[in-house]
Amino acid sequence: MASLTIDNVKKRYGQTEILKGINISIAAGEFLILVGPSGCGKSTLMNSIAGLEDVSEGRILIGDKDVTFASPKDRDIAMVFQSYALYPNMTVAENISFGLEMRKVPKEEREAEVQRVADMLQIGHLLKRKPAQLSGGQRQRVAMGRALARRPKMYLFDEPLSNLDAKLRVEMRTEIKKLHQKLGTTIVYVTHDQIEAMTLADRIAVMKDGEVQQLGTPQEIYDNPANLFVAGFMGSPAMNFVPAKVVEQNGSYALELQAAAPTVVPFPKAEKLAAYVGKSILLGLRPEMITEPQPHKEGAEFVTTANVEVEVTEPMGADTMVITRIQDAEVNCRCNPAYPAAPGKVIELMFDTSKAVAFDEATGQRIDL
Amino acid sequence: MSNVAKRQTSTLDKVLRVALYATLLSVAFIYLAPFLVMLLTSLKDVEEIRTGTLLSLPGSLNLDAWSKAWSSACTGGQCEGIGPYFMNSFQIVLPAVAISTLLGALNGYVISHWKFKGSDLFFAALLVGCFIPFQVILLPMARTLGWLGIANTTTGLVFVHVVYGVAFTTLFFRNFYQSIPGELVKAARLDGAGFFTIFWRIILPVSTPIIVVTVIWQFTQIWNDFLFGVAFSGFDTQPVTVALNNLVNTSFGGKQYNVDMAAAIIAALPTLVVYVLAGKYFVRGLTAGSVKG
Repeated sequence: MASLTIDNVKKRYGQTEILKGINISIAAGEFLILVGPSGCGKSTLMNSIAGLEDVSEGRILIGDKDVTFASPKDRDIAMVFQSYALYPNMTVAENISFGLEMRKVPKEEREAEVQRVADMLQIGHLLKRKPAQLSGGQRQRVAMGRALARRPKMYLFDEPLSNLDAKLRVEMRTEIKKLHQKLGTTIVYVTHDQIEAMTLADRIAVMKDGEVQQLGTPQEIYDNPANLFVAGFMGSPAMNFVPAKVVEQNGSYALELQAAAPTVVPFPKAEKLAAYVGKSILLGLRPEMITEPQPHKEGAEFVTTANVEVEVTEPMGADTMVITRIQDAEVNCRCNPAYPAAPGKVIELMFDTSKAVAFDEATGQRIDL
Repeated sequence: MSNVAKRQTSTLDKVLRVALYATLLSVAFIYLAPFLVMLLTSLKDVEEIRTGTLLSLPGSLNLDAWSKAWSSACTGGQCEGIGPYFMNSFQIVLPAVAISTLLGALNGYVISHWKFKGSDLFFAALLVGCFIPFQVILLPMARTLGWLGIANTTTGLVFVHVVYGVAFTTLFFRNFYQSIPGELVKAARLDGAGFFTIFWRIILPVSTPIIVVTVIWQFTQIWNDFLFGVAFSGFDTQPVTVALNNLVNTSFGGKQYNVDMAAAIIAALPTLVVYVLAGKYFVRGLTAGSVKG
């Protein structure tokens, strides 16, 4: 177990800068998730931590040790790959013990370790098989077993679940979380799946174009995204961005939306809007904050009702997503399935702006932080 | 079975089918005829050859020509048959195949998984080697062998074949290793394995198909080589192809076609055996690398 410090790491291929000065530091035992769209540099950063790629600038520290120039085998880390990368010519047991063998661990110890890992992951009955004879989920377990066997200081997971089918992915996700709770080791985990990121992480680093957009706990990232990109990337369905005009009202500021009729909604940190009076901003509102009128919220401080026209409804069982339009912006609302929303109909919805956020239209940055 | 019986076949279908088989059989015959003539001729005695036709069957099974070709026919001044040269060929082919295959595997491994600055250029340069005609390098190679002090020796011939073969073997292995995921090598590096350990323990064990292809290819190429054999071998290190040429060109009195044919078949036998034993891997392995990627 060890902490990890990434200090102003840059990576260039010729003229192209893949990583543009990454600063992340996590404590020992933390579960860090690097999330972002394809090509955002998260895998490059992961490979740099592993030592499989050199960095052009900056330092990487594992614990107190500077490993920027150490070779992969001297960093004492283990990695689980997307393709699992099991050695096809070796049995499961040999796969798990290969790393120990390379580190000249005596045979009896290796066998004991294989047994321990196999018990932990319930793959004891597979030990004599070759990887080709295993199912996807079993290979995934073996790949984790191989990482666990060496008891390294840190684990790296590179999109480990993306080759599994949906059901298995959810199962393995839970399993990885349990494993982390049991072992308490430092984990760095790369994914492009924001649900994986939310469910697993102690801390999330949202990346885009080689830069960390925001580093924080899942709840911080969800509730207080730093910019439009983070807000839109995390959460499913994504946060709504509603164009709104800042108006002065009773000595404070509020936002005017063009629903079926112009509607003024209050905003929690109204004083931050002062500079934008008369201008348009983007109001960020999660779908679950726009619902059918709920009696218990009636009259609460940041609750407003407004009429909107329904475009499409998407029943999901527990909820029905109602899609409407406010001033050219598509708006997702999470309604009770019993609420009679039908395409073409004008219905009344309740806007709860107590957790709303506001973004500058031009820069995409939060303006109410 | 019942479905097959019920299937309707028109007369036209049947005629076409017969025509197809007739064409295939005649082409196969044309292709195999030379070998059949060789085999038949080698089993006749000289008298029979002179009186009979090419395709007439031998009157009795006569293996004299074979034993003569192997152990007593004259090749130039020597009259020991092609047996000794047959052994020479093995002494050249076995090490040359082994070394060039191993070097090709190492090169392919480096080019695919340990890319260095200029490795693509290195590969392109090696590829050029595949297109250089044998004749072009005869003189420079003769100088080189002389300078190295291995002219006219088996070692020299092995050297020439290794140098010439590495371009092809590297190409084969590189294409095959392209389809091995790079994550496998990364995983092994994290596990603490070094360059050669990964090669021996991870990469080579999965290379069987391409090793078979390369061995067949190199064995056939080197065994059948005549030009390097005749140019760079010494008097007693000549490969069997050169000896066969000498045998056919050495005549006292009448031409002994039966001995010539027997010698030719003996000289061709090893490549045939290799192909029959490992042939099914050949096509499989040749296409293995090219499908993916």
